[in-house]
Amino acid sequence: MMAWLLRRLMASVAIIFAVVTFVFILIHLAPGEPCLAGGDTFTDPDICRLLVRQFGLDQPILVQYWRYLVQLVQGNLGYSFALHRPVGDAILDTVPFTLQLAGAALVLDFTLGLGLGIYQALRANRLPDVVLGNVTLFVYSLPTFWLALILLLLFGEKLRLFPVGGASDPILCPTVDSLYCLVDRIWHLLLPAVTLGLVGAAGTARFQRAAMLEIAQQDFVRTARAKGLPEPRVVLRHQLRNALLSFITRFGLTFPFLLTGAVLIETIFALPGMGRLTVDAILQRDYAVVTAAALIASAMVVTGSLIADILLALADPRIRVHEDAALDVVTA
Amino acid sequence: MPRRYELLSILLIVAALGACERRKFCTAPDCGTLVDAAIGEPGTLLPASTEDITARDIGEQLFLKLADVGMSLNTVGDEDFQPLLAQRWEWDGPSTLVFHIDPRARWQDGQPVTAVDVAFTFDAYNDSAVASPFRAQLRRISSVTARDSLTAVFRFRERYPEMFYDAVYHMRVLPAHLLRSVPRDQWRTAPFGRQPIGDGPYRFVSWQANQAIELQSDTTFFLGRPGIRRLIWRFTPDPGVAVTQLVADQADVREQLITPELIERARGAPQIKLYPYPGNIYTYVTFNLRANGDTTKPHPIFSDREVRRALTMAVDRATLVKSTLGDFGKVPPGPMSSLLWIWDPEIRQLPYDTTQASRHLNARGWRDHDSDGVRDRDGQPLAFRIAVPSTSQLRRQYARLLQEQWRRIGVQVEIDELDPRALTQRQVSGNFDAVILSRSNDPSPSSGISQTWTSAGIGGSNFGRYSSPEFDRLVDRAIAAQSRDQSKLLWRAAIETINADAPAIFLYALGNVAGIHNRVDNVQIRPDSWASLLRTWRIPHDRQIDRDRVER
Repeated sequence: MMAWLLRRLMASVAIIFAVVTFVFILIHLAPGEPCLAGGDTFTDPDICRLLVRQFGLDQPILVQYWRYLVQLVQGNLGYSFALHRPVGDAILDTVPFTLQLAGAALVLDFTLGLGLGIYQALRANRLPDVVLGNVTLFVYSLPTFWLALILLLLFGEKLRLFPVGGASDPILCPTVDSLYCLVDRIWHLLLPAVTLGLVGAAGTARFQRAAMLEIAQQDFVRTARAKGLPEPRVVLRHQLRNALLSFITRFGLTFPFLLTGAVLIETIFALPGMGRLTVDAILQRDYAVVTAAALIASAMVVTGSLIADILLALADPRIRVHEDAALDVVTA
Repeated sequence: MPRRYELLSILLIVAALGACERRKFCTAPDCGTLVDAAIGEPGTLLPASTEDITARDIGEQLFLKLADVGMSLNTVGDEDFQPLLAQRWEWDGPSTLVFHIDPRARWQDGQPVTAVDVAFTFDAYNDSAVASPFRAQLRRISSVTARDSLTAVFRFRERYPEMFYDAVYHMRVLPAHLLRSVPRDQWRTAPFGRQPIGDGPYRFVSWQANQAIELQSDTTFFLGRPGIRRLIWRFTPDPGVAVTQLVADQADVREQLITPELIERARGAPQIKLYPYPGNIYTYVTFNLRANGDTTKPHPIFSDREVRRALTMAVDRATLVKSTLGDFGKVPPGPMSSLLWIWDPEIRQLPYDTTQASRHLNARGWRDHDSDGVRDRDGQPLAFRIAVPSTSQLRRQYARLLQEQWRRIGVQVEIDELDPRALTQRQVSGNFDAVILSRSNDPSPSSGISQTWTSAGIGGSNFGRYSSPEFDRLVDRAIAAQSRDQSKLLWRAAIETINADAPAIFLYALGNVAGIHNRVDNVQIRPDSWASLLRTWRIPHDRQIDRDRVER
């Protein structure tokens, strides 16, 4: 197990390195320069040249890349051209908000999705299953940004039950310095997390229903029932436990989805997360921030995938790895 | 009760108690919190290093100019300027201006503001290492020196009507004692830019990245205590969501409602009052007079003045403005926003006349020889591409409307919707046929028009490479004219020259509408900078709401 884990860790580092390299080259090749303001603001070309020199952007791309790697090894993510501050500081400011959003959405996604999926499977092809099946299909088909705007208009503007954007009340609670402010922060997080989690939960419910029904056809489930085991035990011990394998696989796949979804949600709900930071950086050709964001996002995705693999290996004795055997059943 | 319910109940009670915790409440006469729903977040608040609009608005509260332009926006002479840091000024000869600093002025760390700060500021704005975007506007000032601690002397390279404007409008005085030790090439990233100490009516309190910047009034401010105690700029990237915050009573100010739809949404909120004021932006489609991608050769279509004139006459600008912007836009009489004092609807422009446009094109040999609906000459169709930023819904809409209007006279247009940075790169390299652009003006016609439309602007923001010695001469004379009336006549002649040459079609000048909470009183908006008079705004005691009484 340890050797496998070590190999997976090394592979993860290689994946992150490849992503960073790819993104670094790609963003440098994209048309547009960081110092030339897009749109209607025009930067004097002399000033532009000066800034480019100050930030070392006039060097060949390979030189810039090598400098970036040297900095990275020293734990320095560089300086942001647009934010006028160290990239590390900007990332540290934003990652917690993205993790809070993704975490809350993940919890909602899996608790609601799992519950609905099991409920539907136990009432397969009956009225509740048919109704829920259509509802989940409808929700799953909704574009996240559209749902976000509708929820914002309905609960923020019309009913005024939730705040319209932001991570906290800027008047009362610029920082979490009391329990009230903690509650305020959760209140601000609810609507974006529900938006992101709801669509995911609809997908998880459909996925889980299918997995439960597939397991229900297996011989060992039929045998359990034939032995006269109580129905809850059949469902929980035999059916659900085995269906959880596909659930864990989905966990590994969901994390990247949540991160990409967070980009849209953070922009619409004005949340100060990494997604919004990345979008702004791409629009401004802020190379250092884009590359750092890719680094952090790929690290998160790889970690999520690794956790899923470990859970899968722990949950399923058939695919549990041995020190001398490579694991092929990976979800990454 | 089961144990888990007990636990949940305790948690809920604790949360409720937390929610009811005691907070400090403001009872002073200047109580009030004004929340601005801002679209963009600045990178730095150091005025010399940024021309970001939000940074400018916040800078108005933190750093003073020596004097500022008045509500008339008259930039000629000095009679309409209001004293700020300078108590008074006088002319010492034709090209020397002497400012006397108000002895009561203090930096917020207690140090007095001196003439040394003024000289230091000029030196910094002029230092290429600082890369200040305002450097070009100061080129006609030869030196700034400190005669004594409270007397700053400006010397100019030449005499011209906007000398005073150039001396005071572009620079905000900076604290020499705090910035002298910071290497000039590191000003853009200096910590001072994120925690500034100024001399203005408000003090910096906090900056939460991507969320908000908070200022608190300086009760000892030498020009009088500001009317509202707290100002908060809340950053919201989406203009629609910013207006939703305003409508949902979670923000008090949205200074530019931008589109007719957003204006209507704000109008529907009972607590919001709308304040229309002249906009500082005009939008135009500029023709590239040099070949697409090769600036050494003339453009096969747009180098012909008559073709440009025909294309201009084929566009019904008045109807386009009416149908897209309603009452919130006007057809500009030339390359100017409605902010400029040279705006005059009587300036001669090319008429909307498709018959005459067709006649011009026929005369230049552009006819539909093969009856495919597109004019051609020597086998080449009269076709070009028009580029627009993908982020501007209004300009994308305009591109389609122009495409349709030109199609009616047999001109084929393809639209390229481009990322703004990519579009800027194309503009700079001359890699385009035509592009729809917007420009903002400061209150003086001298800087904006000459930068974008004279030969001196080629290689800069004169992307279409329009060059007319006659226009250049008239602009130079207008800038140097000794009276405002004389200057206005010369500007009119210059604008009529460029209108006749048609290097661009001036499509619309946007009017601004601000949405502001109706509890705010004494709202004065100077059109070039809405926040410049924020310190005079007030929230009367009887109109205050909960957020006005909160103190940190």
